[in-house]
Amino acid sequence: MNTLTLRLQVKNDEGALVRILGTTRRRRFDLVSLKADCSPDGSFLEVRMTVQADRPESTLVRHLEKLMDVSQVEVVKPGEGEEGVRAAASTT
Amino acid sequence: MKGAEFFVKALENEGVELIFGYPGGAIMPVYDALLDSKIRHILVRHEQAAALAADGYARATGKVGVCMATSGPGATNLVTGIANAYMDSVPVVAITGQVPTNLMGTDAFQEVDIFGITLPVVKHSFLIDSVKDMARVVHEAFRIARSGRPGPVLIDVPKDIVNANAAFEIHRSDASEFPAPPSPEAIARAAELMKASRRPVIYAGGGIGMGRALKEFGEFVEATRIPVISTLKGLGAIPTQHELFLGMMGMHGMKASNHAVQACDLLVCIGARFDDRATGKISGFAPHARVIHMDVDPAEVGKLRHADVPLIGDLRKSLAALSFSVECGEWRHECLAWKKSHAWNYDAPAPGIYAPWFLKRLAQRTGDNVIVCCDVGQHQMWVAQHFDFQRPQQHLSSGGLGTMGFGLPAAIGAQLAYPNACVINVSGDGSMMMNLQELATLRRYDLPVKIVLFDNRALGMVRQWQELFHDKRYSEVDLSDNPDFVRVAESMGIPAFRVENKEHIEDAIDGLLGASGPVMAHVVIDQEANVWPIVGPGKTNSEMLDEVRQ
Repeated sequence: MNTLTLRLQVKNDEGALVRILGTTRRRRFDLVSLKADCSPDGSFLEVRMTVQADRPESTLVRHLEKLMDVSQVEVVKPGEGEEGVRAAASTT
Repeated sequence: MKGAEFFVKALENEGVELIFGYPGGAIMPVYDALLDSKIRHILVRHEQAAALAADGYARATGKVGVCMATSGPGATNLVTGIANAYMDSVPVVAITGQVPTNLMGTDAFQEVDIFGITLPVVKHSFLIDSVKDMARVVHEAFRIARSGRPGPVLIDVPKDIVNANAAFEIHRSDASEFPAPPSPEAIARAAELMKASRRPVIYAGGGIGMGRALKEFGEFVEATRIPVISTLKGLGAIPTQHELFLGMMGMHGMKASNHAVQACDLLVCIGARFDDRATGKISGFAPHARVIHMDVDPAEVGKLRHADVPLIGDLRKSLAALSFSVECGEWRHECLAWKKSHAWNYDAPAPGIYAPWFLKRLAQRTGDNVIVCCDVGQHQMWVAQHFDFQRPQQHLSSGGLGTMGFGLPAAIGAQLAYPNACVINVSGDGSMMMNLQELATLRRYDLPVKIVLFDNRALGMVRQWQELFHDKRYSEVDLSDNPDFVRVAESMGIPAFRVENKEHIEDAIDGLLGASGPVMAHVVIDQEANVWPIVGPGKTNSEMLDEVRQ
């Protein structure tokens, strides 16, 4: 079972977070943790999620990239800490 | 201007000519506005048929099909049709009425979260919660539905929004609808593989037609002279009678196609997705082949089979760049010899009418101006195996979802798009009952759809699987109490006749093709006739079973 941590930039439109979680479940990735922060004006979400699966990470990454609300998907490399997440969130 | 008028004008602005739908409380303001619109509304008798008719219209034309229903059950009845469009990448916009925004979330009468219900089966969805967003949402919905890899888009519109006042505006977008070209480096690597290959096969999928790449694909085949096999949706990517076309591959594919794909050293996959019905056991599929995978959708490349060269982007650009002669003459002759030695055998296995022969004769007697729709089951595979197609838009078949009841609504959509075309719906006695009510729609609009109803008094494909893989333990497949289909059709205003004797096949085809309006031929066939060959569950395409006759 591989563990994968992703950081997503998401347009905060109707159902955006549900769509991400639905895609994750549908592609048979198990959610381990999830954190979502709204930008100050409420227009964007910064999502960090950790998932587990036997499937290649590209399966999930590519399907998340197809979602219209998702503008960016980054794979967080092992060892990259919360500082990186906060730095990314502050730019939105 | 009321929001509903604004909404209908926005649809007109997108070029909508037809809407398939069914009115109700929450969507009523839009139906009121439609009375003053040039858009033609087609009233079906069940919302599922609205979605499937929009799907058929879109498949036949390449335009976005539009369906509409009210909130609650009207919306949920659309879901199968939306899922059908999603699985086969068909551009459809589904419009649903919703209860007023102040009642949303209160379990109001006919309130259902259709936005949430459809999330897994739409390319995208919108809930319009302000009339100010209406122009942008409608424009975006159509752009998303038809761009890149097409798919269905839902627009959920609360009643108070369409009743609100608004000033009409036209929304324009500068977002490109054209896919990016593939990378030159990937093209160069693909060219190297093609030049090095001695046993290449082209694996043609539905993306070729959907991607408007038929011209480039034809030129690619003629230049490379590589043998072609196809998926169900890829039928017609080149004419099925083309000398280099070996046939459909997979579970009910031609033996020559499955032999070729299992023996090839290079698989050029174009607009296909390695679906399990096409590949059989994926770990044993094309075991000696390297793979070039051309697709507009990056998520499909490498999903089920590693691509040695991914060519992601506009198929037309990839095909044009790779249209050169490939040295594979010996292999080509080997493939064409397989095609000849494994040609279909039309000797009937039983005394009654043999459906494949009926379809072969029907195909021989119809011209290029034919569109064949079908439902799902044995007859669907027989259509794929025995009809001839010049282009994919002539073959409307529910491939991904496998929706019984697809055929008649799809035929309605296709016939409305092409009033002068010969639209034939081939169905089975199980599938026909799934959307039988749409015979009334045929009559209402006097659509000259020709229905061939193969009746074996059983759920034939399920019965076949139970016979072959469940030791003939038949469970819930008996339909011997079917209604009298001729009388049912006639009661709904559709002329119909029954054919039981194989000596009367030509007369039946005369009756179908000679009718100026809708007509049904109720064709009684032998229950024992199965679809051959078949790749059993968990087997590779090398392990086809064929009929054993005593």
